[in-house]
Amino acid sequence: MKRFRNLLKYALGCIQRYRVRTLVILITLIVSASVFSSIAFIKDGLTVQGDLSLKYSPDITVQGISAGRQVPVDTRYIGYVQEADGVSAVVPRIWGYANIGNTLLVVVGIDLQSTTVNQRGIFNVSQAYPLESGTFLDSQSNNTVVIGKAVADLLGAKVGSILTILSESNQAERYVVQGIFNSESGIYNADMIVMNINEARTFFDMPQDKITDIMVYVTSVDPGNHKSLVNYVAREISDLPNSRTVTKDVLVQAQVTTYGDRSGFFSVVWYMILISVAIIAFNQTVVVGHESKFEVGLLKALGFSTSDIIQMRLIESAILGTIAASAGLAIGIIYDAILGAPVIKDFMMGWATLYPGFPVPVFINPQTLLFAFAITIVPLLFATVIPSWVNATVDPDIAMRGARA
Amino acid sequence: MIEAVDLTKIYNKGKKNQVEAVTDVSLTAANSEITVLVGPSGCGKTTLMSMIGQLLTPTKGKVLVDKEDITAYSDGWKAVFRRKNVGFVFQHINLLPNLNALDNVLIPILCHDADPFEYRQPALKLLGQLGLSDRAFFEVEQLSGGQQQRVAVARALITEPKIIVADEPLTFVDEASAKTITDFFEKLRGEGKTILISTHASNLAKLADKTYEIKDGKIAKSY
Repeated sequence: MKRFRNLLKYALGCIQRYRVRTLVILITLIVSASVFSSIAFIKDGLTVQGDLSLKYSPDITVQGISAGRQVPVDTRYIGYVQEADGVSAVVPRIWGYANIGNTLLVVVGIDLQSTTVNQRGIFNVSQAYPLESGTFLDSQSNNTVVIGKAVADLLGAKVGSILTILSESNQAERYVVQGIFNSESGIYNADMIVMNINEARTFFDMPQDKITDIMVYVTSVDPGNHKSLVNYVAREISDLPNSRTVTKDVLVQAQVTTYGDRSGFFSVVWYMILISVAIIAFNQTVVVGHESKFEVGLLKALGFSTSDIIQMRLIESAILGTIAASAGLAIGIIYDAILGAPVIKDFMMGWATLYPGFPVPVFINPQTLLFAFAITIVPLLFATVIPSWVNATVDPDIAMRGARA
Repeated sequence: MIEAVDLTKIYNKGKKNQVEAVTDVSLTAANSEITVLVGPSGCGKTTLMSMIGQLLTPTKGKVLVDKEDITAYSDGWKAVFRRKNVGFVFQHINLLPNLNALDNVLIPILCHDADPFEYRQPALKLLGQLGLSDRAFFEVEQLSGGQQQRVAVARALITEPKIIVADEPLTFVDEASAKTITDFFEKLRGEGKTILISTHASNLAKLADKTYEIKDGKIAKSY
């Protein structure tokens, strides 16, 4: 025990003694860990938001296609889709974009008659669109809307406030705010204004026989077969002319590609961090290697064993790596959660930055924390322990002579 | 007692730059005696000393300490042997920078299951005996070459080893320090230590109970 305490003391002494080396390692690893963690926390936040929005997505969306571009779909398709085997609910939707001032918002009209189906427990709208205040629309709603949190914050609107929005035909339409979505799924509905489908039809000047798309819900008796059933239904209705079916799986894939580990910005940063850590490792091995070689040779001459030397280097690297990872993570959290991630916010948030005041979604994932520790400690262990081990396995005289050469 | 039997060291064996530094050297160093190796620079003294002190693995031959073949030990056991039995004084001094004199003396204690704090007084006493009482807390960089070598002597003795291996201990040392170190070796002999010294210095060579003259990696003469 005393011996281990001595080795620990010596390792701590090395950290203090080789101040420049310690400082270089700490600065580089802290920068790497903070950059990695601040980006990873936002990426994880966006992934969580995306997952939540997917949670509320229909199993299948049927869109109209003309010349390869999305166009409104014929209302006759609603009946065809409803008749398909396995379909439990069909909700027609009209949606598009509208400006309030310079801010682009999404106006969504849903068929509130569908709520009768929902109340039977097949598609529960109150679960799909949880509210922070007020109530959701019903089939009797007229000139009333439910708005997203970001819209409410942007306009300073509360339940009972009146919104005036310019419609497709340049008419100033007035709506009373009946409810405000909660912020659980911030990105999904933060910019939404939801209204009755008939009012959306008027707002967007949509012909009576057209809708934007159809949301299709599938309920399987066996949840394990849900995916197969969705694919079966999608195949069944994919025969409809001039249409395409988008399943939730496709959206999940798009989500993973955009926000997953392979997403462009994250990958670039990740490679940069790997390169910088590799440079440190190289620096440790080559530049510090000489100094280390002499010290290892001398310590062995004075009676230290190879395992003593490896233990000391492990302790030294673990301490430095832990300090660097902890400091880097703390900086990452402060930068994202408190400072709002200036500079990288625009890169990471993409379209979501259109909405002023929209908070950066930050999610502190335990896996990301562990990974941040791993990317700082593990390379440092390799960079310090391996050269020491190599030096410690040669004769002390050779190690010292080699270092002097 | 140390016995070196047919020690040979070939560097870079089998390569173009192969060098045979020591060839078939056999010698003995008895307890309570100072054994001195003399010879010109590059004759193989340091290589021989390193092999005897288990800092270098011989290409051939063995080293017996009290009749036990220590060259057959594993790397780990050789470390234990050095830790318990050998104190080294190097030609190049080899103190650790950024540490003070006292901390350098205490380094060998760190690999023992012992509290270095308990060795502070013995270390200070050793430094005092070597004339460095007022320099114990000086950083290595603040000490002269002679003072550094005296610190290295104290470091070699802090674990009270029975064998002292000193390779050219007076090379970078001023006259006053040389006298202090020489007197100290004489005192250690009186304490029963086995002392092996390689040197050019005549004042140190004069202490020898037994002298080996090394030439081209071989013993040319012994007396």
